[in-house]
Amino acid sequence: MEQNTVIKARNIEKKYAGNIALASFNLDVHSGQIMGLIGPNGAGKSTFLQAVLGLVDTTGELEVLGLSPNKNRHELLKRVCSITDVAIMPRWMKVGQVLKYVEGVHPRFDLSKARKILSNTNIKRNSKVRTLSRGMIVQLHLAIIMAIDAELLVLDEPTLGLDLSYRKEFYSQLIEDYYDGNKTIIISTHQVEEIEGVLSDVVFMDQGKKVMSGSIDELNQKFLELRPKAENIEKAKALNPLYIRTELGRPVYLYENVEADRLGDFGEVHPPAIADLFLAVMKKNKEGEDK
Amino acid sequence: MNALKAMIRRELQEHKWGFVYLPWIVAAFMSLVVVMVYLGLTEVNTENLKFSTDVFSDTKVVQQMNEATFDQRRAAIRAGLLVLGIPLVIALGFAVLAYSLSTFFDERKDKSIIFWRSFPISDSFTVFSKLLVALVIAPLLVIPALLFLHLVSVTAGSIYFAVSDIVPFAWVWQAYPWLDWIRIIFSLWMQSLWTLPIITWVMLAGAYSRKPVVAAILPPVVIVLVEGVSLSSSVFFDSLVERVQPWSRAGSFPKEYESTLGVAELSDIPLLFGMTEFWAGILISSVFIYLTIYFRSKSDYATVE
Repeated sequence: MEQNTVIKARNIEKKYAGNIALASFNLDVHSGQIMGLIGPNGAGKSTFLQAVLGLVDTTGELEVLGLSPNKNRHELLKRVCSITDVAIMPRWMKVGQVLKYVEGVHPRFDLSKARKILSNTNIKRNSKVRTLSRGMIVQLHLAIIMAIDAELLVLDEPTLGLDLSYRKEFYSQLIEDYYDGNKTIIISTHQVEEIEGVLSDVVFMDQGKKVMSGSIDELNQKFLELRPKAENIEKAKALNPLYIRTELGRPVYLYENVEADRLGDFGEVHPPAIADLFLAVMKKNKEGEDK
Repeated sequence: MNALKAMIRRELQEHKWGFVYLPWIVAAFMSLVVVMVYLGLTEVNTENLKFSTDVFSDTKVVQQMNEATFDQRRAAIRAGLLVLGIPLVIALGFAVLAYSLSTFFDERKDKSIIFWRSFPISDSFTVFSKLLVALVIAPLLVIPALLFLHLVSVTAGSIYFAVSDIVPFAWVWQAYPWLDWIRIIFSLWMQSLWTLPIITWVMLAGAYSRKPVVAAILPPVVIVLVEGVSLSSSVFFDSLVERVQPWSRAGSFPKEYESTLGVAELSDIPLLFGMTEFWAGILISSVFIYLTIYFRSKSDYATVE
């Protein structure tokens, strides 16, 4: 295993009652990366993250921080933190009790840091979790996670069901106050547009398989979008765009491996949004399967 | 050690009604009844237990009390306190059973198991800490309430006897069996170990089944019925009854091991450890504990998204 490889997955497979959740899934995540797992429902994102946390058994070779999540789960969880679902925090507990509990069971938890983070919110220590709004529960969970000196943070749809302001705040806090360049974060979501500016790398998943992966920089070089001037539309079409969408009544073409200079002659060129790139890649993938 | 403390604290916070408040509620109610009886406001008059101040209007009883030796006084007081403690021990039994049944089921039901398992605490350690709470901590928490009940009863009795010129105020206090507290604690712990197969069986039901009450009750009922119909015997049923009855006097230990005083003596401990039935129970419990750890570790929470 390489020095800086945080997650190494080879031929990971998982089935649920005949349904394929993961099929020959391979992935490498390196230290310092903020990796986004992007895919529709049923793509296998949560299953993979739960396998990383040792919560489900899979076949294949899976190493997280050099450890097997199933065999060394206890050791691994000293170094890995997760928010797998916002609804699971015990509702009967008071906030202060949750913090004291985590202080007792996690050797890398800094209670005073968590209290300090919470002091900037409306969450009171003697409030019961059941009285907190969904957004506040996420804030509490994030405060706990941020107060743990972990090497890997696993976030599985961490902002699901939250309103926009909480979602934005969650990610900005994560990047500004938590991420220091050494930590590694892996996030699954289907609200791609919200994490777009946060990610260093993405993996597109569908039906348990990896459809495409790469760093944001690589993808921005490989894929480009063109908003052609009206007179250049036919010329743009001739360059075999991967995907065509319409924006305010004007066509927008997405290209793979076409030089920016060449496209620049026909109109305005920019890197595609991840959501658009995802749709393009999925379409291409489906066409490939149909053939 | 920090982790164990945190785990135990969490269990007591979650189950404070059963383990912290319930003994005090029962003790307070019993104390009230005792005080009301001594005030002549009520009396307990059941088939098995009569508790009324009427008995002291009999001059023979008063004479016997005045002439009683120290040992006789102590035995009488001990018997009275033992009877008073029975409702508390029954409440403890129910609290432990309810806890054992719900502790691994509730965390699956509300999915908080995902939160608990996201911390570096092994499933074995979790099961161990919950057993520790059920077997050791919960009985310990009954003791202050029982002490309160005893002290209220002895104080009320002493005042009544003195005011009514039956015996002097100090009559009860002089013979009060102070060391019984140690005996009671050990007795409850021994009771816990004796009942371990039932506690672990119920925990196992909560750890794997979607209907833990059915999973806990149905298999034993089926075994009892099958044994009764096919062998016309009730060995399994009798052994179950032996294990669940509170207090050693009430027959929870087989007859030959019964302590004459009702509360198991400290000297009974080697006796308990010398029993084949005890070790058979520990062996069966070990299997149930292993399976509970297994089911907790293998709970498949993930769904295909």
